[in-house]
Amino acid sequence: MTATLVAILSLTVFGVPVALALDRRARGPLLVGSAFLYGSGTMYFVLLGLSIAHIRWTLISVTIASLVIFCAAAFIARRQSAEPWREAVRPHLLDLFTIFTIFCYALYATLAKVWEWDFWAIWGLKARTFLEIGGIDWRFLESRWNTFAHPDYPLLVPLNYDFVSLLGGSWNDRWLALLGVASAVALALVARALAARETTPFFAALLTMLVAALGFSRYVGLAEGPLIAFGGAGILFIRAALEWDDDACWRHGALMLGFAANCKNEGVALLVSVTIAVVASSWSSAPARLRKLAPAYVLATPWLILRAAHTLPTDLAQGSAVSRLLARLPHAHQILAYLAEQLSSPWFWVVILTGILIAPAAARRRERFIFLVTAVQLLFYVTVYMATPNNVHWHVLSSWSRLTTHLAVPIAFAVFLMLANSLRGSQDAPHAEDPRPVVPARSDE
Amino acid sequence: MVIGVESRMLLLPFIDRGPSEQAMATFTDRAWPDYPRFLEGVREHTQPGDTIAIIVPAMRWEAGYSYAFYRASYFLTGREVLPVLTPHDEPLPQNYRAAKYIAVFGVGLRIPPDAVWRSRRGALLRQRQR
Repeated sequence: MTATLVAILSLTVFGVPVALALDRRARGPLLVGSAFLYGSGTMYFVLLGLSIAHIRWTLISVTIASLVIFCAAAFIARRQSAEPWREAVRPHLLDLFTIFTIFCYALYATLAKVWEWDFWAIWGLKARTFLEIGGIDWRFLESRWNTFAHPDYPLLVPLNYDFVSLLGGSWNDRWLALLGVASAVALALVARALAARETTPFFAALLTMLVAALGFSRYVGLAEGPLIAFGGAGILFIRAALEWDDDACWRHGALMLGFAANCKNEGVALLVSVTIAVVASSWSSAPARLRKLAPAYVLATPWLILRAAHTLPTDLAQGSAVSRLLARLPHAHQILAYLAEQLSSPWFWVVILTGILIAPAAARRRERFIFLVTAVQLLFYVTVYMATPNNVHWHVLSSWSRLTTHLAVPIAFAVFLMLANSLRGSQDAPHAEDPRPVVPARSDE
Repeated sequence: MVIGVESRMLLLPFIDRGPSEQAMATFTDRAWPDYPRFLEGVREHTQPGDTIAIIVPAMRWEAGYSYAFYRASYFLTGREVLPVLTPHDEPLPQNYRAAKYIAVFGVGLRIPPDAVWRSRRGALLRQRQR
């Protein structure tokens, strides 16, 4: 356990200057939460870069490379100065219950060695295989006998496991699930900081409790947890960026989404969904806003190039996906009905839909970005089911409940704030007098 | 809130977690509890880069061979684990021939005396032609 805890702490410390270089105003929960996520994402690129450069992963090589990035980020951060956000996050008694909830989830995730099939057949298997040779084992990924391990899946999660193992000195899967817990905590901290800008400490604390619960993936050891954290944080930051046209939020959002694209292929789809939603929700200023999303694509590109260069097969793309899609179109209603039948936590989605319906129209318009992201991403998922080379029922049963968790945090965040702020009335909102000036201008602008 | 928070997990600090820990620890290998220990033995008696074919009682993909093959891949990282049948249950004799070692688990074969290593439920055999 010590190695995993030290790894989480190291990733957080590593991420602090990165977070501050991107947003000098970051403080408190925003700084800690985003620092862990940046540390995790940047460490992935450190290990990926070393592997591409044929430098064997050792504690020394990884530390040197990380220190270079750490110092560069610290140098950039020090050159900037900015006042912190006016709304400091104030603690609330409800936070104690959130901490207790997280503690309970941590107990669950660490009941035993990571037990999920997909951990030891995909995510953990790759991490353990790469650790053997101190780098990405392209021969393993290219082998036709290993297609079961989904060689095309991005490697952020396995490479994070490798970082833990490098610190621990050997492979040990007993406590790796704590990384997933840390992801959920990081997302909750980011959500708390963003919610505090828009609502009272009570509602922000209540919302954080909900985000902590939804952000914790029951699929322990898989990439779902980090994807939920990076994707959720990315969407919430872009939402804030659209709301306040804040450059720091754009940077946070774009980079978080770029890291999400390195967690799972669904993260790449999420990036496309966000792009479509940004264009659709702000048509007139779309070109300028799309440029601000560019860092996400820059982060997503290396793995897409590498997997194409190594011709790593994607199971969903085998054969003719279009012909399968066309063949199943007449049965679309049956597939949709099956998806509805197999929906995990259906009452959660009923509450979300009800919340959307009863919220004031102005609040709904304000949240159209998140509604669009959710709708487009769900459309992608349905399209994949329509075009899958696998048996549709099997594919739905084995993935649908996981996929819907990817979208739960952002949509719950939006609906909760819509309802909470309509309950309170807008006159006492922290930024009610002027939604823009709470964002101080960047000193370098 | 009530729907979002998994209420059963909130009881974890207040209950005896021993049975849950035991259930989770044995969940993956509940059909063949000895298999991980066997694979650890195979790992100890082989070197990185070795090729190993797996023979188990369930010689059909969906009936257990996929589990055996995937699990072996996890425990035997650094080695190349070769399946001896396809997901469509077609035999792959070329993989059997190409393997340096055959790891046999839970099969009632007469184990030759020159087996590289044997455990209570299995053995590691080195192919003679190599």
